[in-house]
Amino acid sequence: MNDIVMAASVILILVGMTAAIFNRDPFDKLISLSVLIAGVFPFIIDRGFLDIAIATALIAPLSTIFILMVCRRVQE
Amino acid sequence: MTVELYTPEFVIGLLVLVVGTIAVAFPRPNDYLTRLINLEIPGWGLLLVMLHYNEALALFTFAAVSVLSTYIFVRVMQKKEGI
Repeated sequence: MNDIVMAASVILILVGMTAAIFNRDPFDKLISLSVLIAGVFPFIIDRGFLDIAIATALIAPLSTIFILMVCRRVQE
Repeated sequence: MTVELYTPEFVIGLLVLVVGTIAVAFPRPNDYLTRLINLEIPGWGLLLVMLHYNEALALFTFAAVSVLSTYIFVRVMQKKEGI
């Protein structure tokens, strides 16, 4: 992989992980988690697993939707 | 099949796995929701480690089943808190 792209992906993963751990609001944590997931995808595509990348991109937001179901009810 | 040592996804995957596990063990606001959201972090670290060993089928199965377990945890939380 190109070095600049790889460095950007690593920075995305580290920033997303740190923000997801240290934020206290559930919605902030979910947004930071999406940043982490965005950093993982270039590594999957670099290995040539395009089918896995498509399936993961379709499946991963489902868990965010499920967690949002709990967030909304806790906030009320 | 020889696997090259220490690719970047292996190193960063192990880092995310260890730090995420510590975050799950000691969540900051100590409630179920924070723990469940933190549980997503080591899952992606494990996925990166699987990627290092070229396990495509394991990767696909793990991504699918982790969403299923998240749904089950959400249902359990809703039942436990009576909503």
